[in-house]
Amino acid sequence: MVYKSSVGSRIFDAVNIGFMLLLVIVTVYPLLNVIAVSLSHSDYISLGKVTWFPRGFNTKGYGIIFDKPMLYISYRNTVLYAAAGTLLTLFLTSLMAYPLTISKFQLKNGITVFLAITMFFSGGMIPTYLIIKQLHMLNTFWVMVVPGCISAYNVIIFRTFFQNISSELRESAYIDGANDLVVLIRIYLPLSKALLATFALFTVVAHWNVWFNALIYLKDEHRYPLQMFLRSIIFTQQEGQSSQVKDMIQNRQINPKNIQMAAIVITMAPILCIYPFVQKYFVKGVMVGSIKG
Amino acid sequence: MDQTASAKSIMKTRSGTSGPNRFLREFVQQKYLYLMVLPGFLIVLVFAYFPMYGVLVAFKDYNVAKGIWGSEWVGFKYFKQFLDNPMALRTIKNTLILGAYGLVFGFPAPIVLALLLNEIRHTAFKKFVQTVSYFPHFISTVIIVGMIKEFTSLDGLFNQITGLFGLEPINFMTESKYFRALFIGSGIWQGIGWGTILYLAALSNADPTLYDVASIDGANRWQKIRNISIPAIMPTIIILFIMSVGGILGTDFMKVLLMYNPSTYEKADVIDTYVYRLGIEGGRFEYAAAVGLMLSAVSFLFVLITNRLSRKYSETSLW
Repeated sequence: MVYKSSVGSRIFDAVNIGFMLLLVIVTVYPLLNVIAVSLSHSDYISLGKVTWFPRGFNTKGYGIIFDKPMLYISYRNTVLYAAAGTLLTLFLTSLMAYPLTISKFQLKNGITVFLAITMFFSGGMIPTYLIIKQLHMLNTFWVMVVPGCISAYNVIIFRTFFQNISSELRESAYIDGANDLVVLIRIYLPLSKALLATFALFTVVAHWNVWFNALIYLKDEHRYPLQMFLRSIIFTQQEGQSSQVKDMIQNRQINPKNIQMAAIVITMAPILCIYPFVQKYFVKGVMVGSIKG
Repeated sequence: MDQTASAKSIMKTRSGTSGPNRFLREFVQQKYLYLMVLPGFLIVLVFAYFPMYGVLVAFKDYNVAKGIWGSEWVGFKYFKQFLDNPMALRTIKNTLILGAYGLVFGFPAPIVLALLLNEIRHTAFKKFVQTVSYFPHFISTVIIVGMIKEFTSLDGLFNQITGLFGLEPINFMTESKYFRALFIGSGIWQGIGWGTILYLAALSNADPTLYDVASIDGANRWQKIRNISIPAIMPTIIILFIMSVGGILGTDFMKVLLMYNPSTYEKADVIDTYVYRLGIEGGRFEYAAAVGLMLSAVSFLFVLITNRLSRKYSETSLW
């Protein structure tokens, strides 16, 4: 199609492209600034001279963070929570969604209603906390993994996806003597790799970013996820630092911001690195989710 | 005597084949399906339904030893206590204002961006802008607040900018009058790109011949946006609007929790942070649960009302 662009239309395009460039700058600048500050010399930071690039290159902030044993403990915890949580979410959601695609399953409607109710009503923060406390799950590994692993929303999306798989495949597997569990694992799951990959990504990111559940359900530092470590770095004042670090801050060898921004970069790095490659799956995931809505 | 007995037994077996027996046979046939649903069912039961029952604690004098059910009923005691508390007014007001600002500024932002993105013909550039603008969605709240803290500090970015205009540096985080702008602004920064996805999908479903016909008729860009693009995303706008209104009281309180400090409580303390402080930190479970319950009841009412209004004035509604 040939556009006969009027002057007005061209001005519109120019302004629009200008606006988009501004948006890109406003989005990217804060992130680059965080990286730049983490690597700059103390004096440039306190003079407010650090913008896009590091000035007075300095990696002491990273050194201090990497010296903290809690970094490794919380990193390991987050990886474990994310791995266990994601496997559990994918497996249990698949298990629950599959029977809902079989029309003669006696509980099909019952389970659907049972799940749908949870989309509109919840007990809230305090009653949930009390139940978890009564179950003696406070301060355990599983409290970070199990309670949120089944969501009605996910089950419905999985069910919708499974419904598009030809039921003839299932019928012929029955004839070969397979039961439903085998059908799910051997036929349905291999055909749902795209769905599983997308939801694995969403679940991993959610686990990577979680901190509030850790705040209320965990007492022992050694179980804290990465975000709780980051929180302690960003929100504790200088008094929390070791005397050696305090001296460095006093002598202006290092700025507290070096440490804080280094912690942010270390926490964000994995997501930032995989994001460009997996970005399209996230978008697909949203689209799959919106079909039912 | 003998005959009637055998007749009865025959009747019994007959009715049995069409009733419970068939159910049982199907049950046995479907045993794997039952088995598959079981773990998910138990998890939802325990972590979603038990807390719904646990809401009863709001009407009780909670005693750990007696459990939720065994504790003494006290009726609406804690509800009255909250409404009589001067803190109630402050938290309700802050919650409503933050929610309203979110709706007024946060809700239209992705719509505008989606309409503008839709006008970009250069596909690669459009993809690039989208990819960049989605990213902040994946950053954790702790990082977002950490960044706000850095930018608003005395030697941070914001004061560098206001310094250009000769203004004195301010510590934005400790002045309550800046709290709302920081909260809503950072929310838009984080969510504007990701929020366009559903609108862009609706726009890509708009009939391209409509745009061609409009061009032939001499419509300018703005007229095409107003008469073709906006109607194409109207159902999406309405559905998301209903959901946003339902969420108006559901402040992102975890972000507030990281952002606020005693010097900004006056503007920042919302119902959920109050519930957290009193319930989890203070151990006043019944009172906090009562406040939480009131909040969800009102939220649910909001969704019902907006949905009703939307069904009345447009064809779109959630149900």
